[in-house]
Amino acid sequence: MSFATAPSVAAKSPGSVSGIGDAWQMLGGLKILLPFAVLVAIWWAIKAAGDIPDNLLVSPLQAWNAFVHLVTYGVMAEYASTSLTMLGIAAFISMAAGVPIGFAVGVNRYAAHALEGFLRFLQGISGIAWLPLAIIWFGFSHTTTLVIVIYTLIVPIIFNTMIGVRAIPEGYALALRSLGAGRLRLILDVYLPGALPSIVVGLRLGMGYGWRALIAAEMLVRKGGLGDLIFGARTFGQIDRIMVGMIVIGCLYIVVDRLIIQPIENLTVARWGLLQR
Amino acid sequence: MTAGEKIVVSKFRHFYATADGPVQATDMVDLAIRAGEFVTLVGPSGCGKTTLLKAIAGFLRPTEGTIACDGKPVREPGRDRGVVFQEFAILPWRTVRRNISHGLEIARMPREKREKIVARLIELTGLSGFEHRYPHELSGGMRQRVAVARTWAADPDVILMDEPFAAVDAMTRLTLQEELARLTAATKKTVFFITHSVDEAVFLGDRVLVMTRRPGKIKAVIEVPGRASGRDWESFKLDRGMQAIIEKVLRLVREERGAAAPAASDAQPAEAPT
Repeated sequence: MSFATAPSVAAKSPGSVSGIGDAWQMLGGLKILLPFAVLVAIWWAIKAAGDIPDNLLVSPLQAWNAFVHLVTYGVMAEYASTSLTMLGIAAFISMAAGVPIGFAVGVNRYAAHALEGFLRFLQGISGIAWLPLAIIWFGFSHTTTLVIVIYTLIVPIIFNTMIGVRAIPEGYALALRSLGAGRLRLILDVYLPGALPSIVVGLRLGMGYGWRALIAAEMLVRKGGLGDLIFGARTFGQIDRIMVGMIVIGCLYIVVDRLIIQPIENLTVARWGLLQR
Repeated sequence: MTAGEKIVVSKFRHFYATADGPVQATDMVDLAIRAGEFVTLVGPSGCGKTTLLKAIAGFLRPTEGTIACDGKPVREPGRDRGVVFQEFAILPWRTVRRNISHGLEIARMPREKREKIVARLIELTGLSGFEHRYPHELSGGMRQRVAVARTWAADPDVILMDEPFAAVDAMTRLTLQEELARLTAATKKTVFFITHSVDEAVFLGDRVLVMTRRPGKIKAVIEVPGRASGRDWESFKLDRGMQAIIEKVLRLVREERGAAAPAASDAQPAEAPT
């Protein structure tokens, strides 16, 4: 009996899900834009009703004009690409180092126990708190910014990789060992794919924290990037640039998350049924 | 060792380290499984059944005693001893086909040969049409067929099964048991099968072993006559001889469940008193 129902349910679900999914996506698109529209409306109303001078608050239209100006002269592209490049380099280095470290800790029960408290301690010391030391050691340089961002990114990646490795059911590895699998096989076929959902979570968290740390570091280091853009604008009282910069910072993060991290999830974790949505 | 003996367990005693000191799981298990034999083991929960199976699989080192496969001592897991677990230990990130061929990939078998074997097992286990599905798209019964097919595909001499059908629904279980009997007869494997269902043990086994409560040892060995017509539940239920064997085994198992457990608790095994 259960055999007869299992295939039909499995065969039907993809079609029906995508049909409902389309409608949801359209509705979801509107829902996502609504809060932004409300925010802009409030902003505009405050500006107009309060008769606030331009050196305290600009109108959305003035901000838009500043945005067009910055884009036309290539200023925005330069600052934004500096920030994105830094984040990309930091993410690459953090993954390359953090995943193996998380693995090494995760497969060793004693190391995992020993390091859990320490990793939480590090999570408590934000990247920004390292800035004074980093500036003394590396000066006002890209190195300082990178060190801060990598530190911020790598801790959640290590932590979540470790948790992911430990959450893999024992039976997976035992079954494979009785099929003759060696250590390398176990890592490639069991531990790496098994820990991937958690690694993606770690990367996602890390990118979020890392992006914030990056902007903050750029404000102090002043060697380019969106943080530099908005902090520099403050010195000249360019409220419009500050506000445009902030909006771009938020938008770029959404783009990074949607365009890079979600596709990874959809290709792997969602397809394997390991992700509950 | 007598000729034809595939697995020999002698004087196996095992202790687990716990926070409250060592706990004895088994007490002096002696056991020999002949090549091509289907041996089932029943006993109360927590009596050390799984410990014994894990030791034969090579997942744990015996505290005392020895375990040999083909006369060679077992020290680690190996391709000669396949294992099917209760909890569907197939990999969620591999399709049905790739799960089944996993052991062959590990053995570096050429692709063509591999696909032939996998195709045959998909046919034998009734998984046709599901080759490219992921495990989460399958029912529990289907997933366990994949696990069985994966183990059979690797062609081990001995197959160890730890309550493989305990987590599937009752109807599916009957079908899977009949299919397993057929598959084993067709492939002439040596099987060691753990269960807490007496019916299942007698239905599948050439020999049924009954284990005492913890620390477990072999309490009785019951031979089950072969059935020329094959094994199916309908004729099994009508066979007086078989039902008498079930009664006998049931009595032996109940004695182990102790006076505290109600007599009619076969469906829900009582915990072994410590």
